[in-house]
Amino acid sequence: MRTFPQPGAITLLATILSTCLLLFLFQKIIWLIVPLLLALMLYYCLRPVVAALVIRGVRHKTAAQFVWLLLQLITIAIFFEMVLLVPAKTGTWQSDFGRYLAGGQNLLKKTAETLEQMVPIFKSMKLDEQVDLLAQQFTDRFNGRNLLPFALQLLKFLPSLLLIPYITYFMLNDSTRLKKYIIKSVPNAFFEKSLLLFSRLDASLLNYFQGLILLTLLDTACLAGGLEMLGITNAIWLGLASAVLAWIPYLGSVIACIGVVIVAATDFPDKYWVAYACLVLFLCVRTLDDFIFVPLTIGRKLHIHPVLSILMLFLGAMVAGAAGLILALPLFGVVAVICETASQVVTDRRLKTRYRATRQLVSSQGSI
Amino acid sequence: MKFFKSDTNEQRVEMLKNVPIFHDLTSKEILEVDELLHERVYEPDEIIFEEGDQGHGVFIIISGKVRVDPCHKLLKTANLEFGPGELVGELTLFDEAPRTATVVAIERTVTVALFQAEFSSLLTKNKSIGVKVLNEIARILSRRTRQLLLQEKHCPSV
Repeated sequence: MRTFPQPGAITLLATILSTCLLLFLFQKIIWLIVPLLLALMLYYCLRPVVAALVIRGVRHKTAAQFVWLLLQLITIAIFFEMVLLVPAKTGTWQSDFGRYLAGGQNLLKKTAETLEQMVPIFKSMKLDEQVDLLAQQFTDRFNGRNLLPFALQLLKFLPSLLLIPYITYFMLNDSTRLKKYIIKSVPNAFFEKSLLLFSRLDASLLNYFQGLILLTLLDTACLAGGLEMLGITNAIWLGLASAVLAWIPYLGSVIACIGVVIVAATDFPDKYWVAYACLVLFLCVRTLDDFIFVPLTIGRKLHIHPVLSILMLFLGAMVAGAAGLILALPLFGVVAVICETASQVVTDRRLKTRYRATRQLVSSQGSI
Repeated sequence: MKFFKSDTNEQRVEMLKNVPIFHDLTSKEILEVDELLHERVYEPDEIIFEEGDQGHGVFIIISGKVRVDPCHKLLKTANLEFGPGELVGELTLFDEAPRTATVVAIERTVTVALFQAEFSSLLTKNKSIGVKVLNEIARILSRRTRQLLLQEKHCPSV
């Protein structure tokens, strides 16, 4: 994304507080926020499709309707697939869940044993027993749990996904009017600069989301290819899920890596090197991402300082629980860009002076 | 379904039809261009834009009158009051550069602004409209350049 000048302390504080406030409010309407964020992403990805149709002579509204229809059909297909799949598969998922937990536990045990053999200090620390105890406690917490309530929760959340095509259509059809409506509320003095920043922000978001989709495809290809070569089952789906999870900064990649390593450890209980190979694969793809894919697709990402990222993750979890943990960084990124843009407009001395002069002018004309 | 609409379509078409750069457009085409325009109202003595501002668009005067205060010697002798249908700031529509003059409203002035981003999208998405508007703007630019050149001829001190 385009880099803006570094924010000042007040802007940063305002960004953190706004993010926390939004997270607090959003946890009550999480069913709306997730479709809204996905619709925003789809809007930026589908906008070029609508533009291409318009260039070929289709009216803008018709083009938006056509894209909406396609999106609606896909969403309905996914919705019904999920409605049929979730109740039917809950039993299988329940047994698979236990199997994978045991697989992960075995991998940890084996790793601890290997470490004990290689490093004597771990043997004196009884690392094997400690890891086994921790893994057992963790497994016991989840093993007895029934996945049915979770599956029902997932089903309850599904109808809100039907909102995605509607919100996307609204954005595709009315984004210009919405932009005009927002800009209308800006005083004359700040009008031109606001519009300029608005256009730049829009162009940056367009590049960012399109780049993100391309990056996801590249990540999926690399991960799926690597996992396939290692002989992991459902390599494509695991690769895709891992690439999508990587949208959540830091946390997403870690969760995806743990998941795939557990799957590998369960699929190959006697070949633990496969699980370690998966770990190496993830590290390689991560390195490729940082040095080749990201500069090629997204360019310079919205940089958030690691300390600030960790702080936001903690604040997010504290304010809005699990949802806050997931939404904290993407939301912080969006709020940071808005706050920095707004601060650039309102801190421009030249424009501020002009705004004050206009106000004086209007009030003096009113008093005549 | 239409959101965020203010005036009726007929009023908008009527208003924009009187602007020379939209003369060649049909009513339907004018409505499409209208989607991209930003209407602003300026009070007397209010600055529309200032010399040195980062400009990126043209202001089309719908009603009222504006005065241009240039710093350039060449422009100081020119007629620098503009009324309905005329454009100000057209240079920055093609090149994001600092404004070369300050424009102030003499009386209550209604303008519509067309900016680079919107103009580019018009040229890409709807070439026939874009070319008509571009043609008119080019005509105005060449007329103004010619006027300036003639002025320079009779003004050896500049």
